[in-house]
Amino acid sequence: MNLRWYHFAAWGALIAAMLLMPRLVDLGLMGRGTLRTMIQACYLAMFAISWDVLSGRTGYISFGHPFLIGIGAYGTAILSKKFGVPVELSIPLAVLITMIGGLVVLLPALRIKGSYFALVTLAFMELMYQLVQVIRPDLTGGTRGLSGIKTLTRGAENGYMLAVSLMLAVALGCWLLMRTRFGTALWALGQNEEAVSGSGLSTIRLKAMAFLVSAFVAGLAGAFLVHYNGSLAPRAMFDINSVFTIIVAALIGGAGTILGPVLGAFFLTFLLEWLRPFLPGAERFLVYGAVALVLYMYQPKGIYAIIEGGLKRLWGRA
Amino acid sequence: MLQILIQGLLLSGLYALIAMGFTLIFSVGRVLNLAYGAYLLIGGYAYFYFSQQLGLPKIAGVMLAGVLGCVLGLLKYQLLVKRVQGVHSAVEIATLILAVVLQSAVVLIFGDSSKILLPIVPGVERVASAAIPYSNLVATIISWAILIGLYFFVRLTHTGRAMQAVSMDAKGAAISGIDANRINMITWGISGTLGAIGGVFFASYTQLYPGMWVAPLIIAVAVVIVGGIGSIIGTLVVAHIVGFMEIIVSSWNPELRGVFTMLLIILVLVLRPRGLFGREEIH
Amino acid sequence: MSARLQVSNLVKRFGGLTATNDMSFTVEPGESVGLIGPNGAGKTTIFSQIMGEHRQTSGQIHMGEQEISALSTPARIRRGVSRTYQVPRPFPEITVAENIRVGLMPDSVWQMVTRGADRDRERELALAVGFAEADLDRTPAELSMGDLRKLEMARTLATDPKVMLLDEVFAGLTVGEIATISALVQKLRDQGMTFLIVSHDLKALEPLIDRAIAIDRGTKIAEGAYSEVIADAGVRASYLGGGGDA
Ligand SMILES: Nc1ncnc2c1ncn2[C@@H]1O[C@H](COP(=O)(O)OP(=O)(O)O)[C@@H](O)[C@H]1O
Ligand SMILES: [Mg+2]
Repeated sequence: MNLRWYHFAAWGALIAAMLLMPRLVDLGLMGRGTLRTMIQACYLAMFAISWDVLSGRTGYISFGHPFLIGIGAYGTAILSKKFGVPVELSIPLAVLITMIGGLVVLLPALRIKGSYFALVTLAFMELMYQLVQVIRPDLTGGTRGLSGIKTLTRGAENGYMLAVSLMLAVALGCWLLMRTRFGTALWALGQNEEAVSGSGLSTIRLKAMAFLVSAFVAGLAGAFLVHYNGSLAPRAMFDINSVFTIIVAALIGGAGTILGPVLGAFFLTFLLEWLRPFLPGAERFLVYGAVALVLYMYQPKGIYAIIEGGLKRLWGRA
Repeated sequence: MLQILIQGLLLSGLYALIAMGFTLIFSVGRVLNLAYGAYLLIGGYAYFYFSQQLGLPKIAGVMLAGVLGCVLGLLKYQLLVKRVQGVHSAVEIATLILAVVLQSAVVLIFGDSSKILLPIVPGVERVASAAIPYSNLVATIISWAILIGLYFFVRLTHTGRAMQAVSMDAKGAAISGIDANRINMITWGISGTLGAIGGVFFASYTQLYPGMWVAPLIIAVAVVIVGGIGSIIGTLVVAHIVGFMEIIVSSWNPELRGVFTMLLIILVLVLRPRGLFGREEIH
Repeated sequence: MSARLQVSNLVKRFGGLTATNDMSFTVEPGESVGLIGPNGAGKTTIFSQIMGEHRQTSGQIHMGEQEISALSTPARIRRGVSRTYQVPRPFPEITVAENIRVGLMPDSVWQMVTRGADRDRERELALAVGFAEADLDRTPAELSMGDLRKLEMARTLATDPKVMLLDEVFAGLTVGEIATISALVQKLRDQGMTFLIVSHDLKALEPLIDRAIAIDRGTKIAEGAYSEVIADAGVRASYLGGGGDA
């Protein structure tokens, strides 16, 4: 894995800084609202990490990630609300079901690539959107969705600590995983799939593993988010805008790097917040999208690459 | 029975029109242009603005929507696609972002709620037990007129044949002196126009709201892939298969309409990725 | 470390074209065989069938006693057969060391995750095919054709084969590079490796092989000692008829 001292230092600093955020509120340096914004950013970061594990390296671009997130969210919401399953059980079950969903996404990836695959995943999301509205609306809440779902925490600080711990655990776990030879194999898969199998590796197994890990993260984050929000609305969940936000967070952060998508998620979430005072209405989304587009066209490798380049230059000079 | 036949024809004609604008870009530019959905959206809202808010004649509204779509197509080619051309996932992602930006522009100007489009031609014709709005009938007739026109344009005119040449073999076409840039511009322009007009019809067939473009986009792409990239006839045939299936399913259980269409698309793409009439694989 | 490779009555049709026509031959353990023939004769197609990248229309392929036709490409590589590609297929955005690492990986995600990379072995393979120490951190985008062929060799070797299929390993190489690769092949032969080698550069090929098989339009036209095969009237005619692209 080849970890160096500065890896430990950087992770230590990141974890400490994130866990100490609520103290800034105590000191009056930061508003409670900011903490809530950070909670949103943490969940978006997990979704973006999940996307990155599936699509960032392998070249199988998912346009339907809310399909996976939705399974996790609906899974635990229905189990806990309609069947009275305790949350300690409903969340792991929901994650498990989401991983089965990950295998469903794997099916087209066994035969088709590129644009085809992206399109099929988009159709998966649309299908899920239609399904939750018409199949057993007594369970899914139909078009209206579900509300009154049990929440796990009370108050911004507790919600934040839960979200940030989850996010850091997921980020560290995936980051370590991607530093192993498995991560190298996924890069290789995205660059030349035939040559990977010509090097003696089963590409199906690699894809399956990536998709399962991605589904695990998506299901976990989706499930915890629903128990934070306490409600669930299909139109917002299976919206092209949420696909957009996840992909753009991962891309402008830096696809394939795990930490990049975390950066991207915080950047996007806070960009939206900072724009609020100047542009209170829907203009915000226009600016936000335009910034994303320009950043993407300017540096397709993302913020991570910009920072990395900058650090290297500093290092070189010192 | 008759009802299904007529409604099937109406919907299929619409799908064919939308898919046709898409297949042009797909075959000539080799680009999965996800912002194609935005043409539908802009077309629908442009029509709403010109003919319902400004009160211009309806026909002028349709035409202006088409012009706007054309301009949008050209701009997109010049400013965006040309820059990232060659990297497929980059084009897909950039066009997806653009579509979302345009959608938020629509929300900004017109708000988030659904709008009701007045029928292009008022009145309803009753055939058997079916109510056929004149509007839909007109949309279908115009769609067919455009499709036939396009077919002859591609087959018979010099420009049309150059488009075909570029779509078959871009390098070969360049060697034989075809200006690929010009052909690309024309294609993006036509595609934008068709998309915008398709959007007007589609919005009057269903609803006009900011997220209206996603489902028809998926259907258009699927129809094109299944029908064979660049094949006008294949696109027509598959548009009718999808249109009729959708009508048949919804006459049996209207709620399952969307579910069924998406399932069909997923199944066909997974089982027959080369399409039914396809000549090659895309990447 | 060696195994016998046997191809029996192999036929491959692409539509109307018969690319492999009732081909049978055996490569004995430790033997090195040259496969020659004009462009389009069907040499690469035979390799693809042995590796399972193309499925034969009919016929059998044996590694040792086992019929391998039903196996996937990775499973065949585990049985000990591995090839280089005529058009090199590097992973363009990762380093030379990482390219070799992919070849060294076991086909088990668990082991990929739990065990680290074997950097010494990566280095050893890279140096063996003629890379310099500094090349390990370069990406294929910065490499010459000759370097890409070396990388192809290194990654193939990394899969720990018993039988190596080399497809046009000398094309585009300088004299020095040809000497390096030749020396490597000789060294591996001394260690008992089995080879099937395709090359247009007959001069470089000759010292590396025990015997030769000539094919034309998918059909075997001569087999035996190199000097006899090359003197064969049919072989001469096929090279001339094939456009003399040697
Ligand atoms: N995938 C394929 N589809 C159709 N024809 C092919 C394919 N691969 C090879 N061929 C044809 O098979 C013949 C043998 O090709 P190949 O094995 O590459 O020849 P060689 O390696 O001896 O130069 C050629 O005529 C080639 O055009
Ligand atoms: Mg060859």
